Amino acid sequence: MNPAGGGEPMIVARGIGKRYGSVTALDGVDLDVHQGSVHGLLGHNGAGKTTLVRILTAQTRPSAGRATVSGFDVVDQPERLRRKIGLTGQFASVDEQLSGRDNLILIARLLGAGRRQARARADELLESFGLVDAAGRLARTFSGGMRRRLDLAASLVGRPAVVFLDEPTTGLDPAARLNVWQIVRDLVRDGATVLLTSQYLDEIDRLSESLTVLSDGRILAAGSPMELKHQVGRRTAVVRFEAVADLKVAGPVLSGSGLRPALDEARTSVTVPVETSRDIATIVRALDDAGLELSELQVAEPTLDEVYLSLMSAAAQSAGSERAEAVK
Amino acid sequence: MTIAGGTIGGGPRAADAGTWEGSGVATQIWVLALRSLRALVLDPRILVSSLLAPFLMLLVFSQIFAGIANTPQFPAGVGYTDFLVPAIMVNTAMQSAMQTGIGLTQETQNGIIARLRSLPIWPGSILVGRSIAELIRSLLRLVVLLASALLIFGFRPAGGAGGVLAGIGLAALLGWGLGWIFIALTCWLREVELIQNVSGILLFPLMFASNAFVPVEALPRWLQVVAVINPMTHGIDAVRDLTHRGDAGGSAAVAVATALAVAVVAGFTAVKGLERDS
Repeated sequence: MNPAGGGEPMIVARGIGKRYGSVTALDGVDLDVHQGSVHGLLGHNGAGKTTLVRILTAQTRPSAGRATVSGFDVVDQPERLRRKIGLTGQFASVDEQLSGRDNLILIARLLGAGRRQARARADELLESFGLVDAAGRLARTFSGGMRRRLDLAASLVGRPAVVFLDEPTTGLDPAARLNVWQIVRDLVRDGATVLLTSQYLDEIDRLSESLTVLSDGRILAAGSPMELKHQVGRRTAVVRFEAVADLKVAGPVLSGSGLRPALDEARTSVTVPVETSRDIATIVRALDDAGLELSELQVAEPTLDEVYLSLMSAAAQSAGSERAEAVK
Repeated sequence: MTIAGGTIGGGPRAADAGTWEGSGVATQIWVLALRSLRALVLDPRILVSSLLAPFLMLLVFSQIFAGIANTPQFPAGVGYTDFLVPAIMVNTAMQSAMQTGIGLTQETQNGIIARLRSLPIWPGSILVGRSIAELIRSLLRLVVLLASALLIFGFRPAGGAGGVLAGIGLAALLGWGLGWIFIALTCWLREVELIQNVSGILLFPLMFASNAFVPVEALPRWLQVVAVINPMTHGIDAVRDLTHRGDAGGSAAVAVATALAVAVVAGFTAVKGLERDS
């Protein structure tokens, strides 16, 4: 699958597997991320996202397969690879005993900057990340959002060509989340390549040109967000009524209009998959013609759960039909 | 938030991307030691409590065990304080050794070690930097301990200033060397509570099944056997000789050699543990 962008390949993985004893954390994972693009890695906890990030950042060795980042092999050239990458993990890893500024200076010095260069780079990043006022305070006094920004800044000190962001918005409030999204966009504008893991489909939808869905260590689907949504989940319309009697009438009315309604009596609501906006108009018209009063109408994008369930059931079905073929 | 053109990111457009060619191991160790030192010494609460501990130990033990000085097994002509201070010195250095491991575990938990490991540096620098910072704090604690022993507890070392300074140096070196055992444990076990328990289990017999508080001859027979093979006994002997006589002869050389050998073996094991797949 060739993702949008089409620059030089910056992350290439082929058949990556990882076993911990008898547990298979990853199995046969391929990945292609091109320069200047954001690739999303979507999956629930335990899907293997963090393990893949750890392999690609040379923190743990794959049990199978090969991968290169910025042209350097994750197993054979870990030192050179680390010069090209920045990593922000799920938990803000800053030195709590140091000030915000000293945290950044420390990283810069370890990357080989002289004292003056290190200070200049730290100030530049503090400015960019809105941390100038708090620069002299110990990091342990920072709020969650500030800490995360400092952590992000720390991973960018060396101007990495490839940035790994492992669930960078987990646990952040909405404003801080928007902040992180802007940082990701700015990174890409500046020419960096970003691998972003998330549990939220909307986050990946907003930021990335291509994505991979992981489940139980395997790739469930890959492509652009558009392709995936088309292939997987459809949007759904949820119509709620005042009375169960209305709901019972609505079922046949919607079926009669060529739609596939699913009734939920407990919530006096009906869920209808919609393909186009015309379907929404059809729903409203059909119910209006039947003289039904709707108390609420919502159109929802597929959630990660729906994408998952849909992908899973598709996978189960194809496995089933393969077995059926084999029996014949 | 506005980010002025091309300052946060990397890639081809960053003006001076790739100008930093990495740092040398000496710089890494220096920068990381300073970092740890800042937390250990500049935080007044941590500093004061760490300085107070050896003082309290001296106060308590000098009161509890003072009567031993009157027993026949006790060397004649030596006051109990003079006997006890070298043991507290070695114990203080060992506490620092244990602290190195515990401090490192806490950092493993809060993710800062993972961040450092993601950088293009030699992982050993992280450990050496911390051990040096702890060594400096250990020296500081020893100086405060000796000052209070001299001023308050009537410690009168016959070995003179030279002997005392050599004693401080030897105790600190012992703690630094054996500290690598705790660092290695941390790198392999990686759990705060487990490390604390294991460290406690290790430290307790090392200190008490030795000649630290009573002469070996005053111990029960089976404990004498343990005390004689306990390296602490020999370390404490060497520090006692230095402070009491100003010269320790062979025992100090053996103690130094042992500390260095342990540092090398445990250090190598620790770096392997840190690099290990998890």
